[in-house]
Amino acid sequence: MTAVPAFASVPAFDSLHAAADPQAGTRPLTILIAALGGEGGGVLAEWLVELATRCGYVAQSTSIPGVAQRTGATTYYVEIHPQPISELAGRRPVLGLAAVPGAVDVFIASELLEAARHAGNGMLDPARTLVIASTSRSLTTAERMQMGDGRSDGEHLLRTVREHSLACVAFDIAGTARACATVPSAVMFGALAASGRLPFPREAWEAVIRASGRGVEASLRGFDRAWQNVGGAFAPAAGFVQPPQSLPANAAAGFPAEVADIVNLGLARVRDYQDAAYGERYLARVRAVLACERRLDPEVAQGYALTRETARFLALWMAFDDIVRVARLKCSATRFARVRREAGAGDDDLLRIVDHFKPGVPELAGLLPARLEAPLLRWAARRRANGKAPLELALHLDVTRIRGFLALRLVGGLRWLRPHGMRFAREQAMIEQWLACIVDTGDWGLAHELALCGRLIKGYGATNDRGRDNLAHILTHLAVGAQPAAVRAEAVRRAREAALADEAGTTFDQVLREHGAPSRPVKAQPINFVPRRVQGSR
Amino acid sequence: MEVSFSKEVSQLRQGAGTTFHGEGILAITKALLQSGVSYVGGYQGAPVSHLLDVMVQAEDYLAELGVHVEACSNEASAAAMLGASIHYPLRGAVTWKSVVGTNVAADALSNLCSPGVTGGALIVVGEDYGEGASVIQERTYAFALKSSMILIDPRPDLEVMVRMVEEGFALSEAANTPAFLQLRIRACHLRGRFECKDNIAPAVSRRHLMADPAAFDYGRLAHPPATFRHEKLKSEARLPAARRYIVEQGLNELFDGRRDDLGIIVQGGVYNALIRALQQFGLADAFGAGELPILNLNVAYPLAPQQIEDFCRSKRAVLVVEEGQPEFIEQEIALILHRAGIATRLHGKDVLPMAGEYSVEAIAGGLATFIGEHAPELPLAGGRDWLAAIAARREMVSAALGAPLPARPPGFCVGCPERPVFSAIKLAQQTVGKVHYAADIGCHSFATFEPFSFGHTILGYGMSLASRAGVSPMMQRRTLAVMGDGGFWHNGLLTGVESALFNCDDAVLLIMKNGYTSATGTQEIISTPDDEIKAQTADKHQSLVDRNVTIEHTLRGVGVKWLRVVPSYEVARMKATLEEAFSTDFDGLKVIVAEGECQLERQRRVKPWVAGRLKRGERVQRVKYGVDEDVCSGDHACIRLSGCPTLTLKDSSDPLRVDPVATVIDGCVGCGLCGENAHAATLCPSFYRAEVVSNPGVFERLLARLRQGVIGLLQPA
Repeated sequence: MTAVPAFASVPAFDSLHAAADPQAGTRPLTILIAALGGEGGGVLAEWLVELATRCGYVAQSTSIPGVAQRTGATTYYVEIHPQPISELAGRRPVLGLAAVPGAVDVFIASELLEAARHAGNGMLDPARTLVIASTSRSLTTAERMQMGDGRSDGEHLLRTVREHSLACVAFDIAGTARACATVPSAVMFGALAASGRLPFPREAWEAVIRASGRGVEASLRGFDRAWQNVGGAFAPAAGFVQPPQSLPANAAAGFPAEVADIVNLGLARVRDYQDAAYGERYLARVRAVLACERRLDPEVAQGYALTRETARFLALWMAFDDIVRVARLKCSATRFARVRREAGAGDDDLLRIVDHFKPGVPELAGLLPARLEAPLLRWAARRRANGKAPLELALHLDVTRIRGFLALRLVGGLRWLRPHGMRFAREQAMIEQWLACIVDTGDWGLAHELALCGRLIKGYGATNDRGRDNLAHILTHLAVGAQPAAVRAEAVRRAREAALADEAGTTFDQVLREHGAPSRPVKAQPINFVPRRVQGSR
Repeated sequence: MEVSFSKEVSQLRQGAGTTFHGEGILAITKALLQSGVSYVGGYQGAPVSHLLDVMVQAEDYLAELGVHVEACSNEASAAAMLGASIHYPLRGAVTWKSVVGTNVAADALSNLCSPGVTGGALIVVGEDYGEGASVIQERTYAFALKSSMILIDPRPDLEVMVRMVEEGFALSEAANTPAFLQLRIRACHLRGRFECKDNIAPAVSRRHLMADPAAFDYGRLAHPPATFRHEKLKSEARLPAARRYIVEQGLNELFDGRRDDLGIIVQGGVYNALIRALQQFGLADAFGAGELPILNLNVAYPLAPQQIEDFCRSKRAVLVVEEGQPEFIEQEIALILHRAGIATRLHGKDVLPMAGEYSVEAIAGGLATFIGEHAPELPLAGGRDWLAAIAARREMVSAALGAPLPARPPGFCVGCPERPVFSAIKLAQQTVGKVHYAADIGCHSFATFEPFSFGHTILGYGMSLASRAGVSPMMQRRTLAVMGDGGFWHNGLLTGVESALFNCDDAVLLIMKNGYTSATGTQEIISTPDDEIKAQTADKHQSLVDRNVTIEHTLRGVGVKWLRVVPSYEVARMKATLEEAFSTDFDGLKVIVAEGECQLERQRRVKPWVAGRLKRGERVQRVKYGVDEDVCSGDHACIRLSGCPTLTLKDSSDPLRVDPVATVIDGCVGCGLCGENAHAATLCPSFYRAEVVSNPGVFERLLARLRQGVIGLLQPA
């Protein structure tokens, strides 16, 4: 029989408070695990208890799974009494059932926001707590559902966690688990093993995994990868992977270097969308804004930010989403390859791609000239007013079959039709209105805020209508007026942010009112219900 | 349910001389068998679900012992089951989540307590209180008090918890009174150890049947005039007998301290937190021994006045650590001391919080005040510094983070059949207007969270339809009540459907028929598809709840005329059905059954099946949804209509775009909601459905290659 490994051999645990704390040497080692439902946190806690028990120590775990198992955040808590059972002479240490703020020795979190949450709860003590945090994010619903970018800043979260830990190792626990085809719990078990805070030999940890009997090989792979990542040394982890920003360097003629990359990208986008002439139109529009910016900011104090942002949103707007563009994108070879990758299909697997389309009357009519579009739209509006559902074509198109592919290819080839359509004309008119507004401000700050409003234009159907209405309202009511430009710029900024706050536009309307602008006109929306009869009436 | 508890079942067989390692609730289950229990019943609910789940799966072993197990239809039927112990010397145990389950059981409990019991009757309640609780915050204690029941609140150490089960039966028999055994959430999920005893096969059991019913005895009926005598018996005979037993058998524990002028009285369940709080001040060691004597009440009701007096008499001041409101124990102790003329200062909720869980931090705050007043010479500085440091750190982090971090409440599982129904409700309200929405208990109550934010009231399990009865007549538009099949069978059929039909109410009821009581751990109910059907069905992906039509038959049987059954994933059809329900001329009760089997249960079938087929090299088709990022506009309307954890965001790889785009990550089970929503809500055309076939057939492969060839010729880059 091997000797019981002693906790005393772990200096970090025993020497930490030894001088001041008479309980040192008998104080339990405390481990707090923050995980999401379905990540195997319960198994991890069970493994830790079994590990300590096998090695001759008293251990206890608790949890509050309840309904938190359904993808919610939850915690598991483990305490290990640092004296071997053999030295206890039958006495039973009183072990805690819940983590105590500032009294956690090891904290491990499988998700970054959850790590920060526990820092915020006061759980971590920078003089005591060793932290292993995953850099991976599982976005909360509140972050995902925003109309713009509602995600928390990962770098900031990690910095906060680091500041409140004795030492901190951060690595991608979820990614490591995926790469090893195992669950996060196995990776976390390996990270805890490598942390060196529990004095048990690696073989003892692995023996617990082997004894579990399910998915042993994958768990051991995950364990080993985490062991290597944490490496006992608690080296700082690599930072976040930034989204790729690599861009072609050759600047379009006549544009300063600060905007060349965006203009190039934008130019490529609109040329691909329509044709070379449309590209020229794009360049001409950007040049007009550049000329205006040179007037407003001759010293280039702002680094051409106005031109840059206008060029960005102008390109996206000029390449507005219509059925022709979508069809073209959907039948490209690169797209087929991407789907194969995302679906995780192997080389030998067959792949079928079914696309969901539901073009309505406005989408189809938009490709037609005014004299054809108008009656079509009037007819659709009459249907709607009569309480009928809008007429839409629900399609499931299998684009990996020849018929489906040909249909898509055909629609994708309709680029020639686009400039004759009413939608095209309307978009150009509105673009001109937006650009004119930017150029006419005479104030760089206001112009810049208006340029950023290009962000409101996105999406299809109702989303697109809403964005355009909001922008029009800003241009008409907030961009102009007697107030100083700085005040108007602030109003535009707030309105833009409010427009992305909620779909109903409640926040947007509130901001409009605060700045003395009228609320948006209420849109008629037919609702269909059977009114209850008032008692006494007939 | 498809979860296997085979390991746990084998642990139930452990005999004397072995050590049990496992969860608290399983230890309690084992303790029932060690106590010679004859019958066990209950209604599932966190945190005590496993007791019943394990018992149900331990069928074979329990048959050996002769123990009967019953999965009751609700807590009232479980409580009524204890009626077996009124006349007969049968030990019985039932379990449920409290306080909600105790509320449902209240009628039967009162009528059980009145005549009292011959055989020991134990009610294991999961006290769902504090962090992690999913129900209203109330104490079970009030029920013990009003019905003169025993309430055992054991110290959370498996050894003590197991002993209290065994003693609980004996105490119940000694006092002819049923006993609650109350376990807090963490105690149920506490993983520890205890030394086992042999299980006892009950003397009267399914193997050893009683020949005759008991003789008629009016005194055992909860019926006047017997009830008048019962009331007297409670205070004159039963509670005194209980007090005697508690003191004689040492059920409450007295832990001596180094000083005798101060003391603490604590509920057993809070003992460990109290010790940790004392340790933070250096006033207790790892084994609980320390400065102050502690009276630990493993039996929280009834108190033994003599024991309280003896503990308090020599002390200047005593602190009562009692979780939850009101302070029942503290009030009774004050009365005991007052009557005995003992002048000891009594503290409790004057220094401790009135409401909320007694965490170590909360108790430490009260200790600092109590000790600071009565023994300022003790070293309190360390503990106070610690408390101040936590507060300071919280402020620091809060300042550093700026805004509060977004919450992460529980939500629907990936592929849940209920999510699409809420998408449809959201969409339908665009055409029928906003409706008053009576919510219920169950997984579907997650729709109260974002992105749906549905529900005006929650009145209890199966109560949604009943809870709108006063709203409907007062509102122009029709109301919507949503309940699960679990809630329907638990209560909803009678309190809701029957009442609405009888009163000719004009209302819309939506029943989530997923086949299980899913939120409590996917237990089976009367409308669960049969095991044989699950075994026979070749395609394990298939939802099978349509094979059991008990709900539909029941609804028609009681007289529901307007009934629609809609597969829950068909969002457009569900939306149209809802619109019809809200706009039809039919003015009676309209019931929509949303049919889709619990995805958790389906995945438990699917995963091993797929793994097996892949291993054998057989054809497997799987589905994953995806988003074309160059088509996605970054508006995230799809997420606001779904909330599925696998439909999330990533940075756009298009450098022109600033907003993140939607993406479907690994874990998508291909439920089809993304596609359905794309159509039903006319979302953007970026969604695609990818069907991946592994190990395809020869012909299939040839055809695919041919198509690929043709398409390749016409395809742009």
